[in-house]
Amino acid sequence: MTGVGVMALEDSDRVDFTRLRLERRRRLLAAMESAGLDVLVLGRPNDVRYAAGARTLWRTGANPFAPMCVVVARTGRVHLLSTWDDGIPPEIGHDDLYGLFWNPAHLIAALAGIPGLTEARRVGTDSLTPFFGQVLADLIPALELVDASGILADVRAEKTADELACIETALTLAEAGLAALDEALEPGMTEQALLGVYVEAVSRLGAPTPPSESVVFATPRQGPVRYRYLATDRLINKGELVVLSPGALYAGYEAGVGRTRTAGAVASVSALALRDRCRRAVDALLAACRPGLSGADLYGAWESTGEPPAEIALAHGVGLGAESPMVGFGRGADAPLLEGAILSVQAFVSQEGTGGFFERELVRIEDAGPVVLSRSER
Amino acid sequence: MVDDWAAGATIGGIAIPSLPDMARLRADRHAKLQGQLEAQGVDGLVLLGSAGVAYATGADAPGEDSGRAGLFRSVAIVVRGDSAPHLYTAFWDGVPAELPPDHVHGPLFPDLDDGFGNFVEALHGHFPSGAQLGVDEQTHPMLRSLGHFQWIDASSVLGAAKILKTPDEVSAIREAQRITEQAMDTVRQALRPGLRQTDLSGIFLRRIFELGATANAIDPIWQVMTPTRAEGPWTSHGDLAYPTSTTDRILREGDIIWVDAGICHRGYASDFGRTWITTAHPSPTERQTSHFTRWRSVVDAARDILKPGVSALELGRAAIAANDGVKPWMEHFYLAHGIGTDSAEMPLIGTDLGDDFDASLIMGPGMVLVFEPVIWDEGYAGYRSEDIVAVTDTGWVRLSGLRYDPFEVAA
Repeated sequence: MTGVGVMALEDSDRVDFTRLRLERRRRLLAAMESAGLDVLVLGRPNDVRYAAGARTLWRTGANPFAPMCVVVARTGRVHLLSTWDDGIPPEIGHDDLYGLFWNPAHLIAALAGIPGLTEARRVGTDSLTPFFGQVLADLIPALELVDASGILADVRAEKTADELACIETALTLAEAGLAALDEALEPGMTEQALLGVYVEAVSRLGAPTPPSESVVFATPRQGPVRYRYLATDRLINKGELVVLSPGALYAGYEAGVGRTRTAGAVASVSALALRDRCRRAVDALLAACRPGLSGADLYGAWESTGEPPAEIALAHGVGLGAESPMVGFGRGADAPLLEGAILSVQAFVSQEGTGGFFERELVRIEDAGPVVLSRSER
Repeated sequence: MVDDWAAGATIGGIAIPSLPDMARLRADRHAKLQGQLEAQGVDGLVLLGSAGVAYATGADAPGEDSGRAGLFRSVAIVVRGDSAPHLYTAFWDGVPAELPPDHVHGPLFPDLDDGFGNFVEALHGHFPSGAQLGVDEQTHPMLRSLGHFQWIDASSVLGAAKILKTPDEVSAIREAQRITEQAMDTVRQALRPGLRQTDLSGIFLRRIFELGATANAIDPIWQVMTPTRAEGPWTSHGDLAYPTSTTDRILREGDIIWVDAGICHRGYASDFGRTWITTAHPSPTERQTSHFTRWRSVVDAARDILKPGVSALELGRAAIAANDGVKPWMEHFYLAHGIGTDSAEMPLIGTDLGDDFDASLIMGPGMVLVFEPVIWDEGYAGYRSEDIVAVTDTGWVRLSGLRYDPFEVAA
């Protein structure tokens, strides 16, 4: 065991990325075979990353579907939209790349040239637009369009040892981000300045694309308290409870940790009571992270604490970014909690006059019970 | 301090304000969308993408990786004839103040089958069966459960509304650009051999948030350019590979880096491009200076003729003529692109859409152009920067700054 780091070592790559990519491809092709899929057309960046393992330009947000990657069962080839081979792993050859086009006719011609596409029948996509729905129908005479989003979710849910190593590395980077936030937090700073400290810290460790920029907010000691998402230029006041929820991506894999600190002072008695409420809730959720249970058990665990309905999700899967299951906002009660899955579990509680308290833990569901991966001081 | 950067320039007879009035901006955008829905006979829009939701509603959302941004996405529904858009979101603190409470709703999760009935119910509350609706993405639950609506691409409505910016939108882009350039000043001053590309990202990202940016938009690019194309990555078209993604690569003395970065501020994208030289005391060679001078003259040649009524084809030809007949942009890109709630949108000038398309693309007041020509000198790398202008009633106004350090603009 070499420990967690981001540099290659002469005796070990720390994470065997070749093995990771080839295992993902093997699993994906096996899932296509059992679903009887001839072709997969993928547009969601993290599905594309799973299939291709390419290091492409990261862009923020949810961007509309386009056919970024085509997987053909018959040939076992993964075709990718890229004009160059920088960031493209060696198992994807130059012949497997199709270029960036602004003219849809050129893109359609490139897709038509992919061996095995036009004679396919069952074609799965992870999403669609009316235009690309028509393109596929025109290109593939025998097209039977299949929802492949569940197939992708299933293969992504079960993590290999190499994927776990990536998530653990991401978690270590997120915890380093928390350490930087802890060090920098002081009354008189703006939330935005504190967010800047975090993003610089994870960038300097080599991870400049946070899973979320919703990382810092101070909670008021007067009036109603709600979970906030956007860092503002509001000054952090002495004695306020400040929510810190740094994350990181490593090779696309996500991890995060959440803590709440008192700015420039020791926690008040009422803040400690709030902290205890939050921890009871987190611990109840963690205890329900067992194989064979479901999202409903997480809802049950939350209700057993006597807290009012949660205003944020209770838990969601992590892997290549946030994944299913998503348990919160009334959704996910039927979602099974599977052995081997990694969940981000979180609780936010608030008290008018005191503020808000948030904690987030990363947990692996094992047969013997939940294993909490995050190590930052609570 | 508010500077009068637009100096009285007008779009549709209205002066471009120094700072945008965001409530007015949102109201004008909604009116434009309504105008297009009416003109194109479309009953409404259902938007799932971050940029589309930002355009239709003006709602802010935290910057997020695509997986998280997709799972927890906001949805915008625009009903033809309605006075405001409907917004379905978890990010309550990003909701514009003037949006009526009965138009603000909890999140819909259109990617999940669980609870999809809420989405169906919401749509039925707004539209009768058979309504023609523009959409930017169809998740499989949508494809399964919403077949009784007539779905078309939203791009015809969105594109027509977006291509001409209002004076406030132009001002908003300039504001995003100003933050980006200020942050880049800090980075450029810090640039030294021995730093990693990701160190530069860290300096930049910290500074944009200190300056109040809403979000970062792309992983900032600091690509080290090789002297020849062949020494760079393989490409399918034989032209340059650019932009390639940032790593922990350590920068060395003399590395020529092509910088490209952009943020999202109050819904609007910025776009910063420059060529820097990695060294403590940059002094470009004569050859490097000539690359810059030529780049300037290409941009100037296009801008000299830029005004309403000029075609994209004419702009492209002027740029090519200024580069001795050689097309001064990369095969997979363009001489210029538009910018707005998307980092690259119409008008696109010089793409593979072809000359006929460019001839039909006529400049109008309110179009925004990011000029990004490339001067390549095989064996000696080259120069690339980006200059942003907005087309006004009589010409254009500059939205990006005039500093190209370590290169100097001749007086």
